[in-house]
Amino acid sequence: MPQWFLTGLRRGVVTTHYPARREPAADDLPTPPAFRPEQLSQDRALRLAEVCPSAALAIADGDLVFDVGKCTACGRCRQAVPEAVTASGGFELATGRRQDLVKRIPILASTAR
Amino acid sequence: MTASDATQAGAADEIAASATALNRRVAALFGRSLHIRTLDTGSCAACEQEIRLLAAPHYDLQRLGFFFTPAPRHADLLLVTGPMLRAFALAARKTYQAMPEPKLVVATGACALGGVYQPDAFSYGSVDQVLPVDVWIPGCPPSPLALLHGLMVAVDRLAAGVGSMSFSAGGE
Repeated sequence: MPQWFLTGLRRGVVTTHYPARREPAADDLPTPPAFRPEQLSQDRALRLAEVCPSAALAIADGDLVFDVGKCTACGRCRQAVPEAVTASGGFELATGRRQDLVKRIPILASTAR
Repeated sequence: MTASDATQAGAADEIAASATALNRRVAALFGRSLHIRTLDTGSCAACEQEIRLLAAPHYDLQRLGFFFTPAPRHADLLLVTGPMLRAFALAARKTYQAMPEPKLVVATGACALGGVYQPDAFSYGSVDQVLPVDVWIPGCPPSPLALLHGLMVAVDRLAAGVGSMSFSAGGE
C-alpha cells in the first residue's frame, strides 16, 4: 500500500482499476509454485510430494501431479527444493472446470535405471 | 460400437450447445446486478476476511455490479468457504434450495476445494461433495483480487485462464 499512499492520496481515488487495468499490488501476493521440469529429478519430486502439507503435490504415472486448487501457497516446496521450484506469479486462478486446476509436470527419467 | 459412439458424441454436442445457451441466458439474466450470499461451512475465517475486503473502498465490488445480501432468497450466487462440515451439510443444502433459479455456487479457498482437510468423521473435505459447484477459486485465502476474478469468471465476463497455464517454468 505505500504506492497508494503516494498516488491515491494525491488523486483522492483509492479504488483499484482491476480488472480493466493491472493491479500493481498483485505482485506482492503469495502465489502457487511453478516447476522447472529440467531440474525435476526423481529424488526432488519425492521430496516435494513429502514436504507438501496440503497434498497438492503427488506422484502418479511418472509425473508430478500439482493440484493448484489444493495449494495453500505456503512456500515449503520452494524452501525444500529451490533449484526446481519458483513462484508462478499468477493470481487469476479461478475456473469453471475443476480438472483445469490439476497440472502434470514430467519428472526426469532416473539415471540409475 | 461406432454408432453408439456417434450417438454419444451427438449427445455431448447437444449438451454443450444447451450449456452455452444456458450460459448466455444466465449472463443476460444477471447482467450487471448479481447478489452474493456467503456461506461459511467451517472455515478459519481468513476467507471471510478477504471476502469482507471486497466491499472496502480499494476493491469496491459494487462498481462491478456485485452486491452482498444476507438472505439466500435474494441471492444469485452462493460463495461457499470451508471444508463442508458434516454438521453443516443440511444447512448448506437448505440454503441452496432457498435460492431462486438460476443460481451459481462458487467454492472459495483451498479448504472448499479439498486441499486442507481429508474427508473424515467431521467434514466432507470439499464443497462439491454436497453442493453443485460452478466455479472454483483456489487460494489460502484467495486474495480479494482473486475473488474478483472468480466472480467475473462466474458471470462469464472474464475467461478462465488457468486452463492454459502449465505451472512449469521450463525454457526461461
